[in-house]
Amino acid sequence: MKAKNKKKSAAAERWSAPGVKRSPSRFRNPIGKYKIRRGPECIACGKCAELCPEGVHVKAGAKMEKPRDFYCLGFCCRNNPFYCIDKCPVQALRLVENPLCETLGDYRWPSDLLISTWYMAETGEVPRSDIEYCIGRSNGGFDKMRFNFPEKMPEPVIPDDEISTTIELNRRNDGRPRITIQLPVYGGGMSFGSVSLSTMLSRARAAKLWGTFGCTGEGGYPEQLAPYDDHMITQVATGLFGVREDTIQRVRIVEFKYAQGAKPGLGGHLLGDKVTASVAKMREAVVGNALFSPFPFHSVYSVEDHKKHVDWIKEINPKALVAVKVSTPTDVDMVAVGSYYAGANIIHLDGSYGGTGAAPDIAKKNIAMPIEYAIPKVHQFLQDEGIRDQITLIASGGIRTAHDIAKAIALGADGVVVGTADMVALECVRCHNCESGRGCARGIASTDPRLSEMITIEWGAQRVINLYAAWRKQLVQILKSFGMRSIKELVGRTDCLYHLDYQREKDEGRRAVGGGN
Amino acid sequence: MNDSASAQKILASRRRLIDQASRTTRYKAEEEGGCGVTGFASSIPVAGKHIFEPSVQMHNRGNGKGGGIAAAGLCADDLGVSREILDDDYLLQIAFLDPAAREQVERECVLPFFKIDSSGKIPAVDDYRDIEGLETRPPDVWRYFVRVQENVLKDFIARSGLQAMAQRKAEDEFVYQNSYRLNQQFYASLGEKKAFVLSHGRDMLVLKIVGYAEKVAQYYQLENFKAHIWIAHQRYPTKGRVWHPGGAHPFIGMHEALVHNGDFANYHSVSEYLRQRNIVPQFLTDTEVSVLLFDLWNRVYEYPLEYIIEALAPTGEMDFDCLPLEKQKIYRAIQASHIHGSPDGPWFFIIARHDPYTRRYQLIGITDTSMLRPQVFALQEADGVQIGLVCSEKQAIDATLHSLSQEDKRFSPIADKYWNARGGSHTDGGSFLFEFTKDSSASAAADFTCTDKFGKVISTPKDKLPADRTIELFSTPAANAVSEMEKALEEKTAWQLFQFIRDNLARWDFNTLSWYCRKIAAYGAAGNDCRKKAIEALTLLIDFRYDTGAKKRSSVLEILHRSLYELFAGAPKITARTTERFVWIDWQTRAKLRSPKKTETTLIIYAREFPPEGDECDARLICAAFELGWKRFMVYGLRGQRFQGCGLGPDTDGVRIDVYDSSGDYLASGIDGLEIFVHGNAQDQLGQILKAGKLVIFSTAQRAGTCMSWETPRAARSSMRWAVRGS
Repeated sequence: MKAKNKKKSAAAERWSAPGVKRSPSRFRNPIGKYKIRRGPECIACGKCAELCPEGVHVKAGAKMEKPRDFYCLGFCCRNNPFYCIDKCPVQALRLVENPLCETLGDYRWPSDLLISTWYMAETGEVPRSDIEYCIGRSNGGFDKMRFNFPEKMPEPVIPDDEISTTIELNRRNDGRPRITIQLPVYGGGMSFGSVSLSTMLSRARAAKLWGTFGCTGEGGYPEQLAPYDDHMITQVATGLFGVREDTIQRVRIVEFKYAQGAKPGLGGHLLGDKVTASVAKMREAVVGNALFSPFPFHSVYSVEDHKKHVDWIKEINPKALVAVKVSTPTDVDMVAVGSYYAGANIIHLDGSYGGTGAAPDIAKKNIAMPIEYAIPKVHQFLQDEGIRDQITLIASGGIRTAHDIAKAIALGADGVVVGTADMVALECVRCHNCESGRGCARGIASTDPRLSEMITIEWGAQRVINLYAAWRKQLVQILKSFGMRSIKELVGRTDCLYHLDYQREKDEGRRAVGGGN
Repeated sequence: MNDSASAQKILASRRRLIDQASRTTRYKAEEEGGCGVTGFASSIPVAGKHIFEPSVQMHNRGNGKGGGIAAAGLCADDLGVSREILDDDYLLQIAFLDPAAREQVERECVLPFFKIDSSGKIPAVDDYRDIEGLETRPPDVWRYFVRVQENVLKDFIARSGLQAMAQRKAEDEFVYQNSYRLNQQFYASLGEKKAFVLSHGRDMLVLKIVGYAEKVAQYYQLENFKAHIWIAHQRYPTKGRVWHPGGAHPFIGMHEALVHNGDFANYHSVSEYLRQRNIVPQFLTDTEVSVLLFDLWNRVYEYPLEYIIEALAPTGEMDFDCLPLEKQKIYRAIQASHIHGSPDGPWFFIIARHDPYTRRYQLIGITDTSMLRPQVFALQEADGVQIGLVCSEKQAIDATLHSLSQEDKRFSPIADKYWNARGGSHTDGGSFLFEFTKDSSASAAADFTCTDKFGKVISTPKDKLPADRTIELFSTPAANAVSEMEKALEEKTAWQLFQFIRDNLARWDFNTLSWYCRKIAAYGAAGNDCRKKAIEALTLLIDFRYDTGAKKRSSVLEILHRSLYELFAGAPKITARTTERFVWIDWQTRAKLRSPKKTETTLIIYAREFPPEGDECDARLICAAFELGWKRFMVYGLRGQRFQGCGLGPDTDGVRIDVYDSSGDYLASGIDGLEIFVHGNAQDQLGQILKAGKLVIFSTAQRAGTCMSWETPRAARSSMRWAVRGS
């Protein structure tokens, strides 16, 4: 055991970011923001293929292939010397917005965000087109916040490779191991059953290569995850499905799931369709029977019960860190402080913008405090209590983009947890059919044996790796713009942010004051 | 009952108070989690030091940010006043957080209204830092024995229109309102708190500090201060570094003090209910509103206790249907009137109460309808002394009784009866009270009784006698009996020996049993198979139920345990060189843990000094020993230590753990193959995860001799089997 740990720490020092490898869509016609229509006038001269650096046009022999408009930069390309539409000698090309975008996505994940995330997952690059990849259209939450970037890049400009995005997960001096992750991001719990094994393994492998963590969710610990033990968090959730001493002992972080931001007041649930034979076996349940976890832990009705609960897990695994995942009730600050005193290493606030299609809308949209209120509330409270530097504060629930990550951190979190974004990297289209067994057209949130074959682990892992690589680039850029060398410097820097609603008030106030002059 | 006009008048008179108070909505400022609560009522006054042990043991239910005690049924001599003054006067205790405020407080809130019969600062340790673990200076407390001045009272009655009320009750109301005013002026309205009233009831007092509860007794030198009823509270607040003792429990109504473990979900609803009756909380905790409710229903509406309990914890569903129709009618009316004031969520109250009008003293435990907080009741009745206990955990009861029995041989370390209340039920109503009449001239209180919510008496078998613990004699029984007993010991197997004792015990007296148990212990001291047989036989006697004749089972158990512990403690230490089967380890020798030698099979762990959780706890020692190759464990001397059987990992077939005494929560939560036998009672949250193996609990509960067991053979894991076996 000791030798293993030594090896581990040496490995951590040598860590280097996994390589980006292009991993195109699994489907013949990936969805782009724009469509190029090639008219019958086309003479297949190949001019467009020569011009386009994005590879939209490909000439195959004497014919032009169907445009790969997924890569098209769209109208913002107009001023480029290689703008194919203008350069076509016979005006055979027409550029239009993809009408599919009108039906794709939702306010929180509009088509632009989905498509830009797919792009990042494919290329590992930040989109160069005019596609929106920072915010959604929900008109609230992170979508109403902007960074207060300084007008000029602060001098001296910090080289990219000197900017750190690592965070510590164990900040209390409790004799338990220090764990550093390379990105301020780890994977949220998605159980075997809610997603397919290949989805789980893809995320796990990406987490391992990125030097961070994935999470098993509540639904057992498939044996295939064994190679990723050191990079898995296992959940002890209210239904205790698939929890065994063995699963608690093999990981480095154990997460208590008290509630989910998407459905506070409800336990996890897996509808009957998704309880296939393999899922039922893992959870020791009956095939086809819906599995509802109770809302509370029936052993925890108070903070000292919670301490007992934490102590229990610590007794079973004396080396593990304990993360406590809670939703965001109005007294979430108390919950956070209580968890600290109960001995938790990580407090994980799960806000209400997250959740896959399986969470009921009535819960998702109506309960709990928005995460952007919860984070600063807890951050401030922990600071006042003098314990902020001893606990890691993680935020989750609707973290979609690198900008969301940075905003959550600027509000006071140390890092974030993502779930849906990983799914989107695997080409989720947000059709909200996650709860039905064979409903996932993309083979992600399904344990149907045939559907889950649609994803190979190599492809899936690479897609997530690429997405994280693109995110890291953006995070580095954000930090650089503020003249910061580490993501840790951004924590709680609400002065780096402004909120559109309040900005207007501020502007108006300024005008009113300045009116006399 | 007060007629509705009087009740209205009392409430109306309080309007003046809240007019002074801020009328804005006030939020619960002090978030509370669970806590540890403990209390006991004894027919003889006992010293404050006995509330120590249970408090110390429940540290892990609190975090040292607030502790308090209350005592009722006091001794005039301890207080330096006459019996009449103690009986008639209000015992007003004021805590001065700012000692300089005393003059102003007295000038404005004490001297103008009260006739003071005696007053003074209560003794305390000179320097609070002398008490280990006390980080904040406790407040100076002044005690005043007072009556309301006649003209003041007359004025008050006239002004409030309380002429129809008994004058003494109006005086109570004056005292109550005066304390409210004092708290408002010197506590609630101030950022920098100055003073507040700790208690003002008759023949009862409250003290509280920032620190663990037992420090109260130490700091205010109550080790030898005597009272019939003691209650204590360990607090586990989650907010704030700076604490005022004002936020600690117990909270007072009039002549009662309440401690609470839990957290309401409907604090605001209850506060609103109270506000409509001109009652506004000042300390902003749900414990305070609980006792305000109690006081409202008790003193203003003058409900009998049963109805107060019904209003707090309404009977519901099936249980309601099981009530007699007459009761249903009344309960329905109570629920309809007071459901908005009924605390919802997990809570457990312990109340120490004095009713000066009947001279009755009560210790009451009430659980919420869903029984979401742990609670254990116990009763011990011996000749001359009776004691009733209510605690969060059984270990606290054991600690209290142990502490008492060390000092006074009339108390036994084992109670005659242990039980839980069934919240909101038609059977016991989720509440029990211990009640007695205090007679200052007699050495013991009269008519000590224990009843449930409905008045049903809980008692112990009257035809059984306890062993006289004041005398130690082990005279050898008659010669023919001796030879038979010695022969049985030599020749029989453990099971046969158990049967032999079981079948004969009814005829033996305590002396014979003691003598024989000693013999068994001496026989076991020879080691190896002898020790094994002796331990097994005594364990069987502890586990099973049988006729004990005229002897109390609690006394029999005490004798059995004493010899069993001799056998455990007599096993060779882990540091010794031996060829024995058993090896003994404790806190001091834990570092010497090693692999078992060839002959060694069983590790006996004396758990007394181990912490209840954490890396150093006895459960971790078991894990470490298991990794070294040990497979059989006997753990004894437990006082609430948790997690036995957790952390050994998968595939633990062939491991067996025998647990004696008060084990803690989460026992066997995660077993995968191993067997755990609990020779006694177990705490909450057993077997959170049970993968495979066996869990057997032989309880000491008096009910019809049952034990509970669970077993999943590895071969047929899916066929989990819970069984309640008669034995």
